[in-house]
This record gives sequence, C-alpha cells and structure tokens, in this order.
Amino acid sequence: MSGTPGGDSSREPQASLGLLDATMVGIGAMIGAGIFVLTGLAADIAGSAAILVFALNGGVTAFTAFSYAELASAIPKNGGGYAFVHEAFPAPISFVMGWTRWFTYMAAGALYALGFASNFIEFVHIYVPALPAGPVVAGGPNWTVVYALAVVAVLVALNAVSTEAAGGAETIITLVKIAILLVFVGFGLFAASLAEFRPLFPPGGSANVGVVDSLLAEPGGAFTLLPAMGLTFIAFQGYDLVATVTEEVENPRRNIPRAVFISLAATVVIYLLVVFVAIGTLGSGELAAAGETAITEAAAGFMPQLPLLGTGAALVAFGAVFSTVSALNAVVIGSSRVAFAMGRERQLPARLGRIHHRFGTPFAAVLASAVVMFVAVVVVPIQVVGNLASLFSLLGFVVVNLSVIKLRRDRPAMTRPFEVPYYPVTPVLGIVLNLLLGLFIGGRTWLLALGWLALGAGVYLLLSRRETTQAAPESDPEDD
Amino acid sequence: MNGDLRVVIVGSGRIGLQTARLLNERGHDVLIVERSPDRALATLDEYVATVIEGDATRPSILRQVGLDRADVVAAMTDTTATNLSVAMLTERHAPSTRTVIRAPPGETDEYADYADAVVCPEGAGAAAVTNTVVGSGVRTVEDLPGDLRLLELEVATQAPVAGKPLSRVSLPHGSLVVSGAAGHHVAESDTELVAGHTYLVAVESGVADEVTRLFRG
Repeated sequence: MSGTPGGDSSREPQASLGLLDATMVGIGAMIGAGIFVLTGLAADIAGSAAILVFALNGGVTAFTAFSYAELASAIPKNGGGYAFVHEAFPAPISFVMGWTRWFTYMAAGALYALGFASNFIEFVHIYVPALPAGPVVAGGPNWTVVYALAVVAVLVALNAVSTEAAGGAETIITLVKIAILLVFVGFGLFAASLAEFRPLFPPGGSANVGVVDSLLAEPGGAFTLLPAMGLTFIAFQGYDLVATVTEEVENPRRNIPRAVFISLAATVVIYLLVVFVAIGTLGSGELAAAGETAITEAAAGFMPQLPLLGTGAALVAFGAVFSTVSALNAVVIGSSRVAFAMGRERQLPARLGRIHHRFGTPFAAVLASAVVMFVAVVVVPIQVVGNLASLFSLLGFVVVNLSVIKLRRDRPAMTRPFEVPYYPVTPVLGIVLNLLLGLFIGGRTWLLALGWLALGAGVYLLLSRRETTQAAPESDPEDD
Repeated sequence: MNGDLRVVIVGSGRIGLQTARLLNERGHDVLIVERSPDRALATLDEYVATVIEGDATRPSILRQVGLDRADVVAAMTDTTATNLSVAMLTERHAPSTRTVIRAPPGETDEYADYADAVVCPEGAGAAAVTNTVVGSGVRTVEDLPGDLRLLELEVATQAPVAGKPLSRVSLPHGSLVVSGAAGHHVAESDTELVAGHTYLVAVESGVADEVTRLFRG
C-alpha cells in the first residue's frame, strides 16, 4: 500500500499480532473455567465416558468453526457472532441472535462465578481453614453464593469504570493457565490408571433426564453422552473471539482461519489430557461428587509437595481460581459488548449503546449485564446455569451456520477469502448436530430459555413500536 | 443523522477506499461494491468493509448489498455514468436511501437533480493543496495531513455529553475541543456542550469514533 497516495497504512493499528498471539486469544477464551467447572458435572452424567464427551464436543464444534472462519474472513467486524448475523438476516433474527448471545455470556458468567466461589473456598482452606463455607445461616443461602456475588461485583465495577481491565497481558494469562494444566497433566499421567475407565458408560437410571431422554425407556449407557455433551458444550465457546482482533493480525486472510482451527485443536488436546488424568486418578464417581471442584480434588490425590506452596494441589486450586476469574472477566466484557452493539443498532434501548461521558466505558451495558448475572447466581442452580449457557451457545452456533448459507444465497458475489469446504454439507451438519445436542438438554432449561426468549420478544415489540411512533414526528430535522 | 450508519460505497479506488476508511474509523457500517477481483481482495485486506465483487450498475449485483437497509449509497467511481446509474437504481429500489455521487470538476450542478448530493473530490483535494501551497497555516476542516482530524461536531440532543460543561466530561486521550459554541471562542473548562450547537474538535484517528459517539449519541 505504501505506493498509493491515499493509503497511508501507518495510521492503521499496527498489525502486530502473529499467528501465535491470535491463536492464544482463542485458546485463552476457551480454556480455563470450563474444564475446571464442568469436568465433575460431566462425570456425574456420563461416568468415565466424560472423556468421550469432550472429544465429541470438539468434533461437533469444528463444523461451526468452519462457518466462523468463512464469516470472519469476509466480514471485517469486531462484534463476532452478532455482527455476522446482523449482516445476514433482517432485524428480528439478528435480535434473537444478539439476545441469546448476551444471555450466553451472562449465564457463562454466573457459571464461572459459582465455579470460582467453590474453588476459592478449596484454595483458601489449604492455608486458612477458618474461611467460612457452607450455609450462611441454617437453611439460608450458601457462602458460595456470597463469594460468587462478590467476584461478579468486583469485576463489574472494574469494567464499568475502566476499559483498561479489558486488554493487557492476555497471552501471558493464557500461558499461565495452560502451564498449570500441563503441570497437573504431567504429574497425573504417572498416577492415572486405565482401570478407572471400566465400565466406560454408567449403568442405567441416570438422574439427568433431557427432553428426548425422557422418551427413551431406559436412560443410561451410551445415551448419557448426549446430555453430558449438551451440558459441557459451553467449554468450547470462545474461539469466535479470534475474530475480534482481526484488525491487529498480520495477513488476516490466512491467519484468522488458521488461528480458529489451531486454537480449537489445541484446546481439545489439552481438555482430553486433563479429563484423562482426572478420571484416571480419582475415578468418575468421586469426580462427580466433587462437582465444580473436581480437578482440584483430583490434584489433591497425586500432586507432590512443592517448595513454598506446600501441597502441589494448591497450585491447581490456584489455577482454578485464576482461570475462573479471567474467564469471568472475559464474559463480563463480552456480554456488555453485545448489549452495547445491540443498543447501537437500536435493538436494545439506545441508552445501552452509549459510552459513559466520564469513564468512556459502555457503562449502562455493563450494569444491565451485571443485574442478570446477579439474578442467575442467586436463583439458578449451577447445573442449570451450565445447561442454559450451553443451550444458548448451541442455538447461537445454529444461527451462525444459517448465516453462512443465507449469505451464500443472498450475496453470491461477496468476496470470501476462506470458504467452508464441502458446502453445504458442512454447515448443514453443524446445524443438525448442534440442534441434536440442544434437544438432549433438560426440559427445565428449555423452559427457562423459552422464558428468556419470550421476554426478548416483549422487549423487541416494545422497542420497535416506540421506534415507529417516534420516527414519524422526528423525520430527520437535521437532514436538510 | 444520529447513531451508526450503514453505508454502501461503489468503487474502491482512492476516493472510495479512503471514504470507507474514514467512515469505518467513526464506527459506521460500510459495504463496498468493487468490479475488479484483484482490487476487491486488496480492499478486503484493509478490514474496513465487507466487499461485494461485481458491476454495481447490474441490478443483480446491487441487490446483494441490501439497498433497503442502507442509509446512504455513495457512488465514488471515476466514471460518472456508473455513478449516475447507481443513484437512479437506488432511487428506484429504495427511495428513502440517501444517494451521494461523485462528479468531475465543474459538472456537480448538472447532476444535482439525480442524487441527494453531488461531490467533487478533485475540488476538495485541490482546496487542500492550495492551502498547503499558500502555507499560511490555514487548513480546510476536512483535510489535515497526518493522523489528526479536525471535526466539526454538532452535539445531538440525547448525546452523552449534551448539556454538560467540559470540566465534567472526560474525552479520550488524543482529543481536544477547540472552539466553543458557534465557533467564536476557544473552548474553556466551563464551556458547556449545548445540544444543537457545533464545536470544532481535534482528534487523533484512533479515538475519532469514541469522540463522535460522545457527541452524537
């Protein structure tokens, strides 16, 4: 571009990120909270087959990853999924996408906050056994909820008054998270036993019953895979964030699709190693009992004494606390960004699409997201929160795949540097598999999800009616 | 106009591409229609707009930009006939969408009836060159060399800064309100940002969209 008089590329944001950094953005968004919080919950449903759950989820996600790569390479927008769908579909559908994306982030936030609280108690108890845990008052809420609310409040406050908390040392944070998991895997591989993987599937009569599951005579066995996949799907949410740094990546046409696939592949490998060690050392039964602190519990079984830290399990517990906080921070930013984008498109009240006159942050959008996260933390049990986050994540992925198909039909001439291979088989398979997993998520979750969608429909109708009644008298006085 | 616009630019030569860059910088949605396949790819690499490859005077191509959703269509090719066809196609298929077309020097009046606005980039460029040649420090508001932009911003009624004195507003680093209301005075900390008034604001390109949003809502 240097030869073109109009193209002074010097003032563009420096294309400073290489393939590695872009990949780290994707890995950083996925790895961490999900694996710490969800491994135990997956073992509760699918037993030792939890390892298959993570492997198959990685496979299902790959189909949608192709769609993300095509859209991200053709549509240079930072909004991720919502921006793509807004490009492809008329207002009502992009509203549904934004509305569900927003909720996905907030439900994930609630999940990570609760996961943080449990692991925080584990971690602090290693050094300070006096930290209060259990019910605050007899029969009342647990201290877990109190700690979860506290961490949400702190991160929301930080993000409401400063945009600095957002950026920064993302690559280093990701490397720390990966390093802690690899230490866990490194020691654990010696302690793991294949005997823990027999039987692979749990016996029939599993407690968790999905919409389709309840129609089957004998839930259990290999059928437990699908509901467990539905629950843990949220752990693969995040590679789409690679698209948010497109402007800063060198040679994005080539590197963005690569970063999407490499980050997904690396994440799947790390997940499988961690889950293998967790099941191989502790066994699926005890993992299930440990719930959202499963990885920390497993580490307590085999980690050696380390200098300074005392027990090596403290390192893993710290990893869990650290990962959940960084993931929570990412979803606080993510959710407010979606609400902000929707506010700017007038799909949510315009107030949410304004930046604060003093702090320069999307203040109203952050606060609105915080309120929903608070409610989810207090009211909804952790497994339902996980299910909700996964369900909306699945539905969002369905719409992303639909966007690829819709844009291929509506805009055949659009420049697409990366094209989904084997179109239309790949996006159609993505849609079918995502829907299939969604159907195996419990009926109560669907009810909550439908409730949120109904609320959204109300908001949408109210807003569009107000737009039309206001548009007539206003009719652009500044136009002339 | 308030908020972010959805703008279709036809032609990504020097004028079209630079327009797309500036619009994108301020947070607007940009789609570009470009006829040459090579230039379409090069334009996409700029990461300022989605690109449709094809001849915009063909309805089957122009339809792909979603005319009814666009706020403005700006035909910026160096061929007046192309620009004119695009404006008329837009007028026919989406009458409420604003049209801006490019015309050569001296011909802008001639096409005034066929688009909502006619611009002559060569004229504006020549004005900037003239300023530089004369060298007395006078600059057109739109064209500054380097990273700085001088914007004339009108405070919208519902904008975040509306009705607040400068002391209570913290603008991003790299921006400065230069003139007070009506442009008669240099702004001071007690200068109030009155809705409906226009202010001269110097901004670095990186914060142009944030400042625009603070002033425009």
